[in-house]
This record gives sequence, C-alpha cells and structure tokens, in this order.
Amino acid sequence: MKRRRIKFSIQPEGLILNSLVDIALALVIGFIVAIPLFFESGIFVNAPGVAKAEASEVSEIKVNIHLRDDGTILLNEETVTYEQLTELLPELLARSLGRKVIVSTDAEVRYERVIQILDLAKQHGAGELALLREKR
Amino acid sequence: MRRMSNIDILPMACVGLILVLAMMVIAPMVMTHTQTPVEVPRAHTAETKTEENLTITFNAGGSLFVNDKEIALEQLTETILYELEKDSFQLVVIRADKDVLHVDVMEILAKVKSCGAKRIACATKKIKGE
Repeated sequence: MKRRRIKFSIQPEGLILNSLVDIALALVIGFIVAIPLFFESGIFVNAPGVAKAEASEVSEIKVNIHLRDDGTILLNEETVTYEQLTELLPELLARSLGRKVIVSTDAEVRYERVIQILDLAKQHGAGELALLREKR
Repeated sequence: MRRMSNIDILPMACVGLILVLAMMVIAPMVMTHTQTPVEVPRAHTAETKTEENLTITFNAGGSLFVNDKEIALEQLTETILYELEKDSFQLVVIRADKDVLHVDVMEILAKVKSCGAKRIACATKKIKGE
C-alpha cells in the first residue's frame, strides 16, 4: 500500500509586524520633527532694572534698545529702522564683551514687539537679554 | 533533540516604540503647565527645554494663572515664594499673550525677580515652516 504524503504549507507563526514597526518608526520621526511646533519653548531673560531701579556708573552694556509707542526703535539713543537694527546688531554684539542686550519700552508697547526684538538679538548672538521697565 | 525556536522580538519592539511615542506626547504636557489657552508670541529662538517649571500665564483678558490655577495679582508674590521654596533654581516661565502690554508683563517679571527667581524665561512658540 502506497503511503499518501500529506503536504504541509508553511504558515508564519503570529503576525507579520515588519510593516507595523516601519510605520511606528516613521511616526516617531514625524513626532520628533513636529513636536517643537506644538509645544512651547522660551527665551531666557533677565530683569536687572526692575527690582532696583538703579544703574551702576560704570557699565559694559553696549546695546541698548528702546521701543517707542509710535513704532520707532532707538538703538543706543539713535533712531533706526528694523532693517538697520538687523544689520547693526551683529556688529555691536561682536564688539561687546558681555554680549548683553538691554531692551526698554514705552508704556503702550505690545509684548509681541518686545519678543520680536529679543528673538532678533538672540539670533544675532546676544548672550544675555535684560528687560528694563522704563528707559533711563 | 528539540530545536530552540527564536524569540520573536518584533511585538516587543512595536510596543516599545508605541510607548516611546506616548511618552513623547504626554511628558511635555505633564511637566509644563500649558493648559490655559494663551496666544504666545512666535520666535525663531528656542532656548528652554522641557522641564518641570513654574508657569505664570497672563492672558489677553488680564487674568493671571500660576500653574493653571487662577490667582489675583496681589497673591502672586506669596504663591511664587511658596513654589520657589521647594526649588529656588526652578525655571519660571512667563506665558503672556502676544497682545498684552509689555509694561504689564514687566510688573509680573518684577515680582518674580523680587521673589528670588534665578531662571526666568518668556514662553514662545516656534515659527511655522522652520
């Protein structure tokens, strides 16, 4: 009697998860890229003039920016445009030892404008940012 | 002799990856206190990292929140002092609405500084398309 051979097809054990892992990895990368856009970050600031409204006689500060209510910007007491400020800031900061930028404003200036200036200063190499309550 | 079958690590890797994803999303939500909706200014600079912090939120309506709990301006000093007692090097994040007046933010900043905060940051959001 001839024996009948039974053929077994090879069945994979469990699920094939290769593609799932690929998708998960792609998601991880996607999240790494996207998360900074969703969550908040910040800019470190200092406030030397708010606790004590006094300034020392000798100062190393070379970059004083004052924002006026009418939209004009004063850089070291001289009126400049935003574009000029962008050009002058790197030069001034390169000469500054402490790379400190002090920002003061008039009473009606919006917070967003100040952050814009702080951001600009940081982008051009400011080491320390300080906020003054009022222009001296 | 029975052959030892290989251990299938794919499900474990998959679960691990999903856990990583969940952690990435949940951790910043738990560690920071950004539940109060505020339109913070956008900036290119992103200096601060995600860490446990003391968050002071100041919205466009003039309401003040410390770690998402609303308080009056008069209570701010007391609250900050209490929080900084736990850790004086704690990062203090000021989340102010982009449309508020800077002088109002300065008032808060002055109080924070007078309480002895050593690390202060202004919250910003990354500019889209970078």
